Amino acid sequence: MSAVASLFRNDYDAEGFRTCSVTGLDIHRSVENYVKLFGLTAVIALAVGGSFAFSVAMTRWEFIGLLDPSSYYTHLSIHAWNLLIFWMVFMEIAVLYVGGPMVLGRALPLRRLATVGWGTMVAGAIGVNASIWLSEAPNEAPLLTAYVPLPVTPWFYGAAIVFLLGATIASLPFFATIWSETRDSRRTLPLVAFGAFVTGIIAVEAIFGGIAAFAYALAWRIDLIASVDPGIYRQLYWIVGHGTQQINLLAMITVWYFLTHVVGGAVVISEKVSRTAFILYLFFINLGAAHHLLVDPGMSAGWRIWNTSYAFYGAAFASMIHAFAIPAGIEAGRRRRGQGGGLFGWLTSAPWRNPVFVSTIFSIILFGFLGGITGVVMGQIQVNMTWHNTLATVGHFHATVALGTTLAFFGLVLFVIKTMFRRDFVSDTLASAIPYAYGAAMSVATLMLMYAGILYGVPRRTAEVVRNIPGSEFNLSAAIPIFMIFGIFALLAILSGVLFVVVSVGSLLFGDRLAPGDDGGMLPDGGLHADGGDPIHAVELRGTFTLCLIFLGVFVAVYVLNWYLLTQLWAIGA
Amino acid sequence: MSNPLEDPDDDWWNSPVNRRESIWLGIAGAWSLGIFTWMAGFTQFGDQNPIGTTYDVDPDRYQERVGEYKEAAEETENGLVPPDSDVYVGAMRFNWDGLPTVLEAGREYDIHLGAYDVQHGFSVRPEENLNKQINLQVFPGSEWVIPMTFDEPGTYHVVCNEFCGQGHRTMHGRFTVVEG
Repeated sequence: MSAVASLFRNDYDAEGFRTCSVTGLDIHRSVENYVKLFGLTAVIALAVGGSFAFSVAMTRWEFIGLLDPSSYYTHLSIHAWNLLIFWMVFMEIAVLYVGGPMVLGRALPLRRLATVGWGTMVAGAIGVNASIWLSEAPNEAPLLTAYVPLPVTPWFYGAAIVFLLGATIASLPFFATIWSETRDSRRTLPLVAFGAFVTGIIAVEAIFGGIAAFAYALAWRIDLIASVDPGIYRQLYWIVGHGTQQINLLAMITVWYFLTHVVGGAVVISEKVSRTAFILYLFFINLGAAHHLLVDPGMSAGWRIWNTSYAFYGAAFASMIHAFAIPAGIEAGRRRRGQGGGLFGWLTSAPWRNPVFVSTIFSIILFGFLGGITGVVMGQIQVNMTWHNTLATVGHFHATVALGTTLAFFGLVLFVIKTMFRRDFVSDTLASAIPYAYGAAMSVATLMLMYAGILYGVPRRTAEVVRNIPGSEFNLSAAIPIFMIFGIFALLAILSGVLFVVVSVGSLLFGDRLAPGDDGGMLPDGGLHADGGDPIHAVELRGTFTLCLIFLGVFVAVYVLNWYLLTQLWAIGA
Repeated sequence: MSNPLEDPDDDWWNSPVNRRESIWLGIAGAWSLGIFTWMAGFTQFGDQNPIGTTYDVDPDRYQERVGEYKEAAEETENGLVPPDSDVYVGAMRFNWDGLPTVLEAGREYDIHLGAYDVQHGFSVRPEENLNKQINLQVFPGSEWVIPMTFDEPGTYHVVCNEFCGQGHRTMHGRFTVVEG
């Protein structure tokens, strides 16, 4: 117990504040302790969900064929809920507390609510896991979606509602902070706080949709209502199903602005442009829930086109703004310090041994190239016919969540270990290896999922189909080589995830305590704030511009290739 | 000096935007509008659109309708030959009712999709070319009528790609497309 208690100890002044040796922020004990609490809980969910990644991947790799269908869907459900929901949402509450009271230098208000919210979320998370694990026939495993009218235990819907209510309660101290900071002043919040605020609003929208969906299904399961409409459930469900992933996106981008600044020396090249991008998200990103309904019966084409495009691609435009603004912030910050000449000197001279920096950069690159591009391409209603419910979809959201958001959150956890837990890593070499190993292995596994789905039409959510479809001569065995690569790299990715948990937990338990004022190697060369140099708008952003043109080239190529494959099909539709 | 952890300067809205960022905004905006226009336009001039007519139908009634269709169709070694250009497919745990079916290449059929019990996924590909494949969602309570014209003769396999229960992976059906 004392080991755990010591994790929550730091030297504070009489008012409970201390000054962070890296960010220079005035940090109150209350905020710091709750960030630690939610962060540690998130890592536990990561470890649980990651363990089930092993059994899921080793079943889909039919060469191993680990699980029977009777257990496969149960394992898949637990994998999905712990990684896509619990690991993410616990981290996101921590991100809200960092982006709100910590950045603003305030104590956490309404601490009792934070505790109640955390306890409710934990109860909901345990309840969801237990209801999945203990589910018996005729109930089926819910997977992530629990689509009605497939019978799923009512305990599952109940526990999911409890979790969502808990997340709502836990977000209240954040909103209270923003409210009290802005109500009497014409203050403009710092960009990170502003990003966190927009994240919080998107989160509340998503959560209300989720409560509506699960309450509707629960009412049907306990016979309060006689029948349930699968189309209505899907519309409600995807408000939270996709909405939670939009929370991931916004939280991740907020973390990008934060970490590229504190460990990479980035500046904000244009407050106006970056904030406008967040506003575009606020208005348009949740329309993207329609991505899941593009090949459903009953929706008009106009409804689908308007929503899937986030209204003329307003949110995709916003993402492309951040895709420029964040690397440009690094380039401007480093060029102004004289770090790096030529086109990419600012990038090659960056701290490539700092795992926080590398996690953030890989998160940006891999999210954009693998997750962002595929998301927009598969979100076009015609192309969606070739992606929907294939493993390519699974590849897409492993690129966004398992690569993009998870890598950003890896970076954040490692940063928190240094700056809030004040521990040195047990091994700098192992810590530095995490983003390289995980990023590389998960990228290959993700690409193989996309290839298996789009080039071989391998469905998602099935225990076997590649080597054998029981009762049929037909199979998809042409995809076997793809799965041999997938299986090996999935294993390597899981091992890299284990490395992250081992280094994190090991550093907390056995890492040396950092002396007061020690930055733990986190600060960029020349400190956080470099003086002098050109005004930002006059810095030559040649490197970022080149990188963005390469990105656009890949985007166009993937787009054209997918449309080419589509137009090779037989004629479909009116 | 603008940093994301501090309040911006008072005139932040009026600070000039870097020239290269302005150019990128133009490129990204044009690309966004371009792909929107292409997607919307393709519904008018393109041949592959997941667009059809949907009718509300009681699942039992839909099952009866598929039964009537099977009565009227001609049974052959390779499956049912539809009596006219309407083809009925009923998804059920764990079978595609109405399949296998024999169709003529180059002829437009109205494919009726519906389910009797839970949600299913209608996933079709020719045996010889797995990267030509399409996927449509099938609901109980909806009858979705989508026209299709198979231009190449051959065997087209149908699997279920929406989780529908423990036997989900066994759900397999077939279209045999013959020269018209």
